[in-house]
Order: sequence, then C-alpha cells, then structure tokens
Amino acid sequence: MSRTKILKTITLVAFAIIAVRLFFIQIIEHDKWVAKASDQHTLLETIVAKRGEIYMMNGSEPVQVVLNETVFSVIIDPAVTDKDRIITALNEHAKDQITADLDKVFSTEGLRYYIVAKNVSHSAATKIADQDIPGVWFQTNNQRAYPEGEFASGLLGFVNADGLGQYGVEGSLNKLLSGTNGLLKTTSDINNVALSIGDDNVKIPAEDGKDVVLSIDRGLEEKVEELAKATIANTAATNASVLVLKADTNEVLAMANLPNYNPGDYGNVKDESAYINYTTQNPYDPYEPASVCKSFAFSAAINEGVMTPETTYFNDHYDIVDERKIENAWKGSNVYGQINMKDALNWSLNTGSMQALRLLGGDAENINREGREKLYDYYYNRFRLGQKTGIELIEDAGSLIEPNANMYGLNAAYANMTFGQNLNVTMIQTITAFSAVVNGGFYRTPTILKGTIEDGKIVESNQEDRVEEQVLSSETSATMRDLLINNRSSKRSQGIDRKGYSVGGKSGTAQMIIGGAYDTTMEKTVGSYAGFVASEGGMPEYVIMVKLWNPKGAKLEGKDAGYLFDSISNFVIDYFKIKPGGV
Amino acid sequence: MAVVRKHKSDPVILFSTLGLLALGLIIIYAIGPMRANVLNSTYGANYDQNFFFVKQLQSVALSLVAFFVAFKVVPYKFLRKWSKLILIIALALSALLWILSAAGSSLARCELGECRWFNFGGMSFQPAEALKIALVIYLSDFLARKKEEGNIGKWQEFWWPLCLVCGASLGLVVVAQGDLGTGITLIAIVLGMLLIAGVPAKQYLILLALILVAIVGFIVFGGHRMARIESWLATLTGASSDSTYHIENSMLAIGTGGLFGVGIGNSVQATGYLPESINDSVFAILGETFGFVGLAIIIGVFVAMLLRMLKVADKTPELSERLLVVGIFAWVFTQIAVNIMAMTSLAPVTGITLPLLSYGGTSMVFIAFAIGLSLQISCYTSREVTKNENTSSRRGVGWTHHSSRRRNP
Repeated sequence: MSRTKILKTITLVAFAIIAVRLFFIQIIEHDKWVAKASDQHTLLETIVAKRGEIYMMNGSEPVQVVLNETVFSVIIDPAVTDKDRIITALNEHAKDQITADLDKVFSTEGLRYYIVAKNVSHSAATKIADQDIPGVWFQTNNQRAYPEGEFASGLLGFVNADGLGQYGVEGSLNKLLSGTNGLLKTTSDINNVALSIGDDNVKIPAEDGKDVVLSIDRGLEEKVEELAKATIANTAATNASVLVLKADTNEVLAMANLPNYNPGDYGNVKDESAYINYTTQNPYDPYEPASVCKSFAFSAAINEGVMTPETTYFNDHYDIVDERKIENAWKGSNVYGQINMKDALNWSLNTGSMQALRLLGGDAENINREGREKLYDYYYNRFRLGQKTGIELIEDAGSLIEPNANMYGLNAAYANMTFGQNLNVTMIQTITAFSAVVNGGFYRTPTILKGTIEDGKIVESNQEDRVEEQVLSSETSATMRDLLINNRSSKRSQGIDRKGYSVGGKSGTAQMIIGGAYDTTMEKTVGSYAGFVASEGGMPEYVIMVKLWNPKGAKLEGKDAGYLFDSISNFVIDYFKIKPGGV
Repeated sequence: MAVVRKHKSDPVILFSTLGLLALGLIIIYAIGPMRANVLNSTYGANYDQNFFFVKQLQSVALSLVAFFVAFKVVPYKFLRKWSKLILIIALALSALLWILSAAGSSLARCELGECRWFNFGGMSFQPAEALKIALVIYLSDFLARKKEEGNIGKWQEFWWPLCLVCGASLGLVVVAQGDLGTGITLIAIVLGMLLIAGVPAKQYLILLALILVAIVGFIVFGGHRMARIESWLATLTGASSDSTYHIENSMLAIGTGGLFGVGIGNSVQATGYLPESINDSVFAILGETFGFVGLAIIIGVFVAMLLRMLKVADKTPELSERLLVVGIFAWVFTQIAVNIMAMTSLAPVTGITLPLLSYGGTSMVFIAFAIGLSLQISCYTSREVTKNENTSSRRGVGWTHHSSRRRNP
C-alpha cells in the first residue's frame, strides 16, 4: 500500500464516521432535538391586560381616584457604572426610592446586575437617563397608584404584588377591573425578542379591564371620613364606619371605614383587620345594631295592624322571658307604668319592642310561635337581614335564628332580636332595611357601581338583577318616619337639627360580644345610629348609618354615634343643598 | 525523472473551492444580520445589518485573488527557492505578536485572554495562518532535499533541524497564542508530510507515540484544556452544564435540521443561541439550514476535493511538489475533520475554522492560497509517475487524463 493510500483511507474513515454521526443526530435523534429547540426557542409570554381605573362622582362628573402609573426600577452594572455619577444622580432625583446600599453594591466583587432603586417616577427616571451614565438601565413596571393616599382605603382595597385586587372595590370587582390577559407564543432570539421565523406563533391580544365608576360622591366621602376621624380622636372609639345612601335608590354615596391605611403601601399594614370593609363584612365578631332594630320590630307590628304609636302596655322596666330577666337600659320613674309605643321608642325601652313581638303573635301577654314567625318574615324575608344584599362588594350574609329552631330560650332570643341583639347582620343590610322603613316601604338592593367608562362616557351598570319590592305599606312607612323624627326631636333637637328639615333616627348600643358571650357589664359596647334626612314634611332624601367601636372594648354609647350622625346629617343638608320645607 | 508538460488543472479542486466560497457567502448573508442583532442588543454594539456579509464579501474577493495568484502567478519553484525566508518571516510575525501583546500594545488584538491577531486600522491578521503555509512550503523543500541527500531518518541531519523548526512553530502558536487548534493542524501537516517523505516506519510510529504522550500531557497540565475534554465527555453522557452549552447548541442546530433543513434564513440557533455561529460553528448552522442532505453534499464536496489532492500528489513526479500537496491536504483535512467532529461532539471543541465557509478573513485567504498552490501543482501531474510521459497522447483529449473518467488501471 502506497503511503498516500493510508491518507486516503484515513480520510474516508473519518468522513464515514462523521456521516454516520450526522445521520444519527439529524435523522434518528431529530425529534428529540426539535423538542429541545422548541423549549429553548419558544417564548411564552402573558400579555398583561391593562387594569381598569376607579372613579368616583364629583357632582355628575366622574373623577379618578385610582389609576395606573408606569414606574421604573433603576438597574446598574457595578462593573461599568461610574459610582460617583450614579450616586449623585439617584440622590438628586430619586433619593426616597433607593433600595440598595450603594457602597456595598460597588464593593461586591463580580456583581454585574443590581436593582438600586424602585418605583422611580417617569420624570425622575428620564432625568437620570438623560445623564447617559454607562451601565445604567431601566425596567418599567405598571403600578397601581392611589394619588389621594389613604382616602377611602377600606372601600377601595388594593392590588397585591401578583396584580390581584384585594379587599374593597379592587377585590370585589377584580374580574371587571383586571380584564383578560392575552398570550404571546412565538419563536424568539436569545434576548427574547420575537422572531418572524416559525409557523406556530400565537398572539391572543389582551382584553383590558374596565374603568369603573362608583356611585360614591367624592366630596361627601372626604368630609365623612374627616368627621369620622374627628370622632375617633374625641371618643373612646378606635374604629368608625359610615354609610350614606340615597334614600330613593339606595345608591351608596359614602362608605367610610376608619382608620384608613395607604393602599399603595399595603404591605406595611401590621394587622390585616385594617383592610376589612366593615360596612359589608364582620369577619371577627357578629355585628348587632341593637336598638336601631326597634324600628324594624315596630314597623312589623304597625304594618300588620296589631299596633299603633298610641298602643299602650305596662312597663315595669323588665320582662321575664324563658326564665331570663330582660331589662331596659333606662329605668327612670318617668316611664314606669302604662306607656305608649311612641314613648317606648323615644326611651328605647326593650319592653316596648318585646311587646311589639307579642302583639305580632296576637297575644299581648306571651311571645308565641306566630309572633316569632311574623318577626322572622319581616326581618329575613322582607328586610333581608341575615342575607347578602347583593351590593357589588364582598359582603357577609350574617345570620338570623329561625323561628322554629330547636333550641332552648328561643323566645328569649326573639325578644332580643326585637332590640337588635342575638343576630348577626351587616351595616349595609341594616341601612338598606332602614331605608325601606322610611322611604315609603321599598326594599331596594343597594348599589355602589354606577357604571363603567366606555369611550369617555359613563355606561350605566346593569341594574336588572336589583330587587325592588314594597315590604311595608306607605302608611306604615309614614308612621315610622314620624316616630323616628319624634324620637330625635324629643331628645336631641336642641338646635342640632335645623329648621325646615325633618331628621329622624334611632340609636343603638350593643353589649360587646367577647369570646362568644355578652359583656353584661355594659362597659364594653358598640354604638350605632341610623337615620334619614328630609326636607320638612318631605320624603327622606338620604339615609345615614354610623357605627363606632373599639375592638379591645370600650364604653361607647349611642350618643357618641349620634353625635357623628348629627354632624354628617347637617353636612349632607348643606352639601346636597336640600331645600328647607314647611317654612 | 520524467519531463512533465504543463496541462489543464484539476477541475474538481477548482470548482469545489469556488462552490464552497459561494456557499459561505450565502450563509453569512442569511445569518450575518442575526449576528449583528445579537451583538447590538446584548453588547450595545452598533453593527449594520449587512456588516458581516460585506466583510465576508471582501474576504471572499481577497481569497479569490490569493487563490488565483497561487494558481497562476507565483510558481512553486519560486516559493521553494525562498522557503527559508518565508518561514523566518512567518515565525518572526508570530514572535512579534507575542512581544507586542506582552508589551500591551494596541496592535495586538486579544480575545478571552488569547492574543492571536494583529490589528491595524480596522483590519486584523492572524499570523498563525501564515505560519501554516510557510511551514508547508518550507517542509516540502526541506524533506525533498533530505530525501535527495539520503539523510531521511538521520538524527543529526534530519530530526534535529526538523524538531527545531517544528518546536519553534508549535511553541509560538500553542504556548504564546494559546491556539491549540492551529497546533493540531501544524502537527497533522508535519505528520502527513513525513509519511510521504518516506520516514522509516519504525521511526514514524515512535514519533506518533511521542506526540500522543505530549498531547495528553499538555491537556492534563493545561487547566482549561482539561475542562474542555471534561465538557466534551459530559456531552457524550448527556449531562448538561454551562461548559456543555456550546456543543449542545451546535448539536441542537444540526439535529433540528433533520433531512432537508429549515431553509435559508430560518435558522433560529443563529439568533444568539449558538456561540460563534458565523465562524467556528458555521457547520452547525449549515446543518440546521440544509439538513442531512445538504451536509452530505457539502461533505461530499470536501471529500472529493481532498481525494483529488491525494490523487494529484500521487501523480506528481517531483517529490517537493508532492510533499507540498500532501501538506496542504493534511492542513485542509484536519481543519474540516476537527471542526465537524467538534460540532457533532465526536471531539472536544478546539476553536478551529471550517475551511472556506467560516467567517474570518485570514484563515480563508491562506487556505484559498494553499488550495491554489495545489491546483498549480495539478497542472504538472504525470499519467504514470514512474514512466516517461507519452506526450503524443496529450493532444486531442477534451478532458485531462487524470480525470475520474479515465482512471488508469
């Protein structure tokens, strides 16, 4: 064999091996490599839908209260970036947004990527970018912005780091606000830039969330929060919730939960109880509006025709029901003996509302099954206490004891229910029922969602599912208005309610339930007040409800809640320019 | 010695060279913009979309000039006459680069710590490529002379000067420039030429063994070389890590090509996933683009060219010319085989270009020049090396007598 033959053989063998190898990789292993390539080359990216913004009303114009903001993270390459220049630039334009110890970042060996500032505004980021410092780049983030800080936080809720709305409107209307994310599936280059190469590229565009308009009146909400804050500052209460509804539609105009927190900085809230909207939820303790509910028991008996304001009974300050002694809070001699229902309401006598329950059963001496069933019918079926109202917010149902429940002390429980204890309801249930009592007898589902903004115009939300039902006769309602106006004017009219206006209301002081049992000392209480505002002789225009409490327990009286009500009712008269009547 | 008249050159070598250069242009035209995008977006560079194609076009033009100069203009005899000087100049260039890089001069261009290029005014030049051709030319003269003198295999007259020359070349390339790929090519050139020069079989085998030991030692005691071997072994067993990234991605490119490839311009691996996609790894991109069928044709062309070179060597009566062609053969063969084997994980990655196809001016120009020389020699083959040429049969034949259709029995 000649020596060039050796070289020829080497050549042929080498390339034969290569050919076999190529056949193996390209033909036999082809599918494996295609699968690997697909893993490596396919960019699967969610196209994030733009979250809708939240508006309130300012008169008839929507105003933005929650918006989206593009903020920037500043990232540096410590190996390239000039230390002095970047520190100067950051201190000058984004001092409060610096998130890193820059000295440490620059002294760390081998660091090529570090986020040194977060949530930098567009203008500040532009100023830093203009300095053209090498090795500095910016990452955009969409962030939920609450330009008014703590304003209406309990109502609004917040958006968490995953982009999910939590609590309040953000949580309740999350689906409407968040829209539907789209999907991008494409072959991409190593820097995740989409390529036109590839035939199974998919792009499903995102469907942006809706801009939502709340029925809340921005100016009223602000003032209500201010007044509630003042109450917290001046009483033993640490928490206050307020609702203002339009009486003829039950549109919510103000919904305050104090104290507020900053939804833009929700992570710094220590106790998640601060997030709760207590007007629609009571996750920790049942809520009992107490004597406010006397207006419900009274309207039931009056509507059934078994009682009038002039109906009398004998008040000896207490009743024994199911071997339990149920006392009045007020035991003055002025109310002892024969007394009519009007005075019983004015003095908030528990014996009076229990008498209404007896009368409902057709037996002036004893509480019976028929009375319980009637009361339950009014409370649960007509006033929908213990049921979700259907407002567009996260809400609790609460609960009522059924009239034929198999339990000892059922009559005592129902006796308690006439003055608003032994039940668990929400504020929104209570004020909606109260609204029915005074507005001519109509139960209407409360609403807070005015509509959505489409092409710059408000599109009213669908109201078809809302209940509108007459649950009391208009005569009963008129009688109740007189009773409630009388209740206020007999005690609190010393210049508080202005001439030309009819303001009615009922206070309630509930014993606090601590560990499932009533605090019988009445040293720890929850104060409530529900009322309405009308032009004198006219129909109620607004219904207002106030709740004051201190989770740790404090003596709060209906009086404290009443004072807050007074200031709100007077403000409402001015703010909505209600015309005085009967002058 | 037969009197050989000049005749037509070998068409296979000629057309395969031209074809491969054209293919190289096409592939760079397709993936050059992707390379520019990657550099622009990753390193903030500002390359024009056509930057790499234009550069390749210049390289190809220059290579064609070198190819035809070697083929038609510069007679081998002239080069042989000056072979010592040529080698000294080539060695001097490499030495100069070493000194410049040690002195930190901007004339020496370094990448990843290895200084292999001269840099002047945007042009770069790799002296190791010049050293390959210089060594081939020098050894063709040296070995032919030793053969004539009957000194082949003698220690004093033969091995000693040979070791000196080879040691100096390898030292400058492998140690100073850290260029193992060129080192392997140089060794292959020397081994190929020694084989043809008629070194006694026993001595040749001892030499082979010594080189093998040296290479193993060199790998084991050179840190990053061992790592390369380890990562190669890792890919063979299917493991995956940062160090196997290059090989994995070249296999991925080749594997996705399948039978017919994804087509020109549809390579995804060239968009930044495959390192060195336009130069050392261009074979993988070819595999992705043209598939198994395409690669088989490309390899077929390479093999045809290489076998033709051996044939030319076989038929060349003049020993120095034969040695020259075999040296060129060894050079081209080694680069093709080592490059493709690395891309298909048959061998570790050494950083060697694929002749005529890879982006990279110096390598392409010198390979083209070398192939041009082999083509020049192909004009002086004889029908039968051992007999006088029958000149009467030279006329009236349309095809050269050594073409495949008129093979001698």
